[in-house]
Amino acid sequence: MITVTVAPPFATIQDLGRTGYRDSGVPVSGVADRDSALTLNSMLGNQHGAAMMEWAIAGGALRFDTGCTVAVGGAVAECFVNGKAMNPFVPVEVGAGGELRVDRIVGGRFLLVAVRGGINVPVVMGSRSTLLSAALGGLEGRRLRNGDRLLIGDAFASPNGMTRTFVHAAPSGTIGVIRGPQAHLFDEHAWTTFLNADLSVSRASDRTGYRLEGIEIRHNGDATLPSEPTCVGAIQIPGGGAPIVIMNDGPTVGGYPKIAVIRTSCLSRFAQLAPVEKVRFALDE
Amino acid sequence: MEAFPKIDPLGDDAVLVTFADRISWDVGVVVRTVANRIRATRLKSVTDVVPAYTTLAVYFDSARVPFASIAASLAPIIELGGLEELKDQGLIEIPVIYDGPDLAEVAERTGLTIEAVIDRHVSRTYRAYASGFQPGFAYLGDLDASLALPRRSAPRVRVPPGSVAIAGAQTAIYPLQTPGGWHLIGSTSTVMFDANRNPPALIRPGDSVRFIRKAP
Repeated sequence: MITVTVAPPFATIQDLGRTGYRDSGVPVSGVADRDSALTLNSMLGNQHGAAMMEWAIAGGALRFDTGCTVAVGGAVAECFVNGKAMNPFVPVEVGAGGELRVDRIVGGRFLLVAVRGGINVPVVMGSRSTLLSAALGGLEGRRLRNGDRLLIGDAFASPNGMTRTFVHAAPSGTIGVIRGPQAHLFDEHAWTTFLNADLSVSRASDRTGYRLEGIEIRHNGDATLPSEPTCVGAIQIPGGGAPIVIMNDGPTVGGYPKIAVIRTSCLSRFAQLAPVEKVRFALDE
Repeated sequence: MEAFPKIDPLGDDAVLVTFADRISWDVGVVVRTVANRIRATRLKSVTDVVPAYTTLAVYFDSARVPFASIAASLAPIIELGGLEELKDQGLIEIPVIYDGPDLAEVAERTGLTIEAVIDRHVSRTYRAYASGFQPGFAYLGDLDASLALPRRSAPRVRVPPGSVAIAGAQTAIYPLQTPGGWHLIGSTSTVMFDANRNPPALIRPGDSVRFIRKAP
């Protein structure tokens, strides 16, 4: 059992997400930084989809009522176990009564806090991921708060099972995109602007979508695109011209033209961009 | 002229199939027929099949199967088109109390009496063209043309769950508390989305819906 002694401003339980219900309007949810989650589960000896805590904005503290192995990763944060500084992606044994404290997040957006065995909350529609808009999954469909108690699960990787290991690459370089379904509505000027601008993720961004600052681009189509299915990483251009990127809890359909879609291999790195960081998109043909 | 149906990548992990560039009920029938046929084929690594107005998306795991392979498997299924008649899906009746905060404004802007607005809203059987934007939300058409209004210029920050709303040629029920820009004309206590139900959404694309006027 884990007790949330000081809840972070924004923390939810997430796993790799909920598929199979997009036709009922249910987004996939799941950790925004999938690469880090896979790495953490792999090094903790967990099944690759074991659930963990996803923290944003600032720190908090946990008490481990039973001993366990804990690891952190994703955003760069000042983390301590029983007062001793933790390194990212290095599992630490914590005895019963031990404390994990996160003082602050210094780089990136989402800190993942994972334990050996995973967090055991009920599986709802095939996933433990929290979807706040529908109060679904996670712990009672909501953010963690002070005094919450979390069960540690038994989502251990089978010893004979998959031995895929994940290497966590340091964030660097451009974000790869492929042409979106409405790429043809954007002329050469719009594309040049899109691919040559230093963009940043606005503070007014969350798990449903990231607003990008730095450019405004127009398209040549009429504004009456019938709403169509969208996906995580889809870069939409609304009438105002400032791009919005659909994230894990975003709408399943939308009517804004999609100029491009972020490569799956670049989504985790994109999700971790802090508001101050600049980024460029690169088109993979 | 573009040739339909058209198969495009929607990122690495999905295929978007476009059947037409204009919304019509007949196109929707084709979209849903093909969607059902793809579901029945149970292609390996496909997780979701999502029909919408003129398009459908097939989501898959690109780590296991490449786009080209999925596209090749889908092409013959898509080319069959919508020749089969869809079985009639259920008629869903939604009891509504017409007490929405925008009802008077809708009456004023359409030049109708409140009674006429309500009569025209309950007099039709609507069909669900698409689901989405949020869990359990279904886009229902076609609204009586005399009730068509553009969305509110300032969307509400909070629309209560169960609100019955209209915008353009469409009507819908908000399943959850959410921001929203449609005109609220009534409310229902019918639960539109329930995670413990299978499927969780009450209304799915292809369903028919009638609103039944209930006394407040």
